[in-house]
Amino acid sequence: MTETDQSGDDPGVRVPETEPTAAADPALGDRLARRFPAASLALRNLSRQRLRAGLATLGIVIGVFAVVTLGMLGTALQTAALAELGGLGNQVIVSPADGGDGLGARELGGIRQAAAGRGTVVPLKSGGASVAGPDGQSFAQLYGTTQPAALFGVDGVPEYLRQGAVVGDELAEGLGARVGSTVEIEGNRYRVVAIIDSEGTFSPIRPGSAVVLPPGEFVADSYSQVVVQANSADDARAIADGVRERLNTREERVSVLSLTSVLSRITEFFALLNGFLLAVAGISLVVAGVSIFNVMLMTVSERRGEIGVLRAVGIHRNEVLRTLLVEATLLGVGGGALGSVLGAAVVVGIALHTRLPLSAVFVPTNGLVALGAFGFGVLIALVGGLYPAYRAAWEPPVESLRG
Amino acid sequence: MSGDREAAGGAAHATAPDGDPPPLRLDGVTKQYAGGGGTVTALEDVSFTVERGEVTAVMGPSGSGKSTMLNMLGLLDDPTTGSVELLGEPVAGLSAAERTDVRRERVGFVFQDFHLIPTLSAVENVRLPTRFLDADYTDRAVDLLTRVGLGDRLRHTPDELSGGQKQRVAIARSLINEPDVLLADEPTGNLDRDTGEAVLGEINTIADGGVGVVAVTHDELVGEYADRTVELIDGKLHD
Repeated sequence: MTETDQSGDDPGVRVPETEPTAAADPALGDRLARRFPAASLALRNLSRQRLRAGLATLGIVIGVFAVVTLGMLGTALQTAALAELGGLGNQVIVSPADGGDGLGARELGGIRQAAAGRGTVVPLKSGGASVAGPDGQSFAQLYGTTQPAALFGVDGVPEYLRQGAVVGDELAEGLGARVGSTVEIEGNRYRVVAIIDSEGTFSPIRPGSAVVLPPGEFVADSYSQVVVQANSADDARAIADGVRERLNTREERVSVLSLTSVLSRITEFFALLNGFLLAVAGISLVVAGVSIFNVMLMTVSERRGEIGVLRAVGIHRNEVLRTLLVEATLLGVGGGALGSVLGAAVVVGIALHTRLPLSAVFVPTNGLVALGAFGFGVLIALVGGLYPAYRAAWEPPVESLRG
Repeated sequence: MSGDREAAGGAAHATAPDGDPPPLRLDGVTKQYAGGGGTVTALEDVSFTVERGEVTAVMGPSGSGKSTMLNMLGLLDDPTTGSVELLGEPVAGLSAAERTDVRRERVGFVFQDFHLIPTLSAVENVRLPTRFLDADYTDRAVDLLTRVGLGDRLRHTPDELSGGQKQRVAIARSLINEPDVLLADEPTGNLDRDTGEAVLGEINTIADGGVGVVAVTHDELVGEYADRTVELIDGKLHD
């Protein structure tokens, strides 16, 4: 403001001067104000008490940030854990009951019946032996199966193993074996046809230090266990029940291990944990709503006379209400957007600096978390502004004008 | 100023046929408030007619019921008994929204302490009553401000204006809707004598355009400019 603005009360004095800079682009401002009368009034009102509006917004920022960070991290951890454990959940492992000595053709037949159409049955022979490679020698777990791919489910492992050996990566490194080189087991020489990448798989069989051979290389006729790779968790449950029904009705002949229930308990745990974290974060957002409520109450009580004028000159109650609600909602929109962006950035930062894979962060659920937190922040602000706005707009103008 | 007269919105009413009902009338209006020590009577059997083109000064000491009377005329408050008539029709049956519409379309208010919105420029303050309407009243607001001598203050906010300038913005605002009636509460209350006279001159010009003006005041100066002066003492009206 310049001194010439204070040109006194004499209406005769005209001091020519330039327009104030606040009206740098009056045309655009005017057009927007006409298009969104409530929003433009609300924005100006907010700009009047910047610090207060900023603090109320900060509450929403913190609340939304907490919800987004905890929600997205929870989802990412769950996604990562399930990606690692996922294969395990769909496996049913059938082994001889205590004291039994291997699974014969009858048991295998029962298992195949139970698993028909629900998954792949992989009979497994096992044993232990010393394995020698180009660079060294080591004791290794031996498995006999023709279907290593179904068991380990990783790239590069053949679907059907007729001859040669598939070697776990840790063992192969110790032996100095590569695809194409030869390993010697109990006097027999096998060409290495594939290396199992143990990082990409999760199985009750530790594949890193194992050697898979065709089952014909084993002396025993019976299988030490049968692994069923089910198509889904539900299939795994049905297969486990079916096997128990077929083979264990009269006496306990086989023990059936299905990790589906363990996995669903893990999932439940994550859901509970996420719910709890979100509830805690949600409380901070509710507190932010209370601060918006407080700020709006202060605002409308300070502007009581002004609101009375609006009503007196013919602005309707619902138009006043709308303006005040837009004002409260804008606090939520600003705080929610900032909180969501900050929260997402922090979660991405955590993923970049830890073993949490980024792919587990960028899942659709996390988009919903960010959007939901933003929406919740806006809603909380709107609800916080509801009563103050209603009270101000519905007060008889003659009362407001007195205030 | 002849070109500006139409901008005041009076021209249309000036041509109204004789015998038109008055824009506003109080008929035996009594207003009582329940106070701490019993009932307080703010207005007692007040009958008053607003005539087009006439400036009426309602004089009286503080607490005599002037503001209550103005609130009755502006449909901001309801009488305890008696009736308020708009163009000959009682307003008792109007809803809050309909009263708001009447205020927006027919009544102009000038408040004692200006009551401008501090975040809005002079032009925006003037077109405030029309803010939520589809039509654009910016040109009319500029005309009105130019007419009251503030053509070079269009974009100034109230804190950049002097008291007299603010009051003239308030007067321009009260005319944006081409009102039938202008209600002014102590229009010179916060102004020095020279500025007050300028504002009253402005108000007379508005009345010449066919607008019925009621100014409640305890400033003798307003009485000098008025066509008619009535006195309100203890809620009773005396001619």
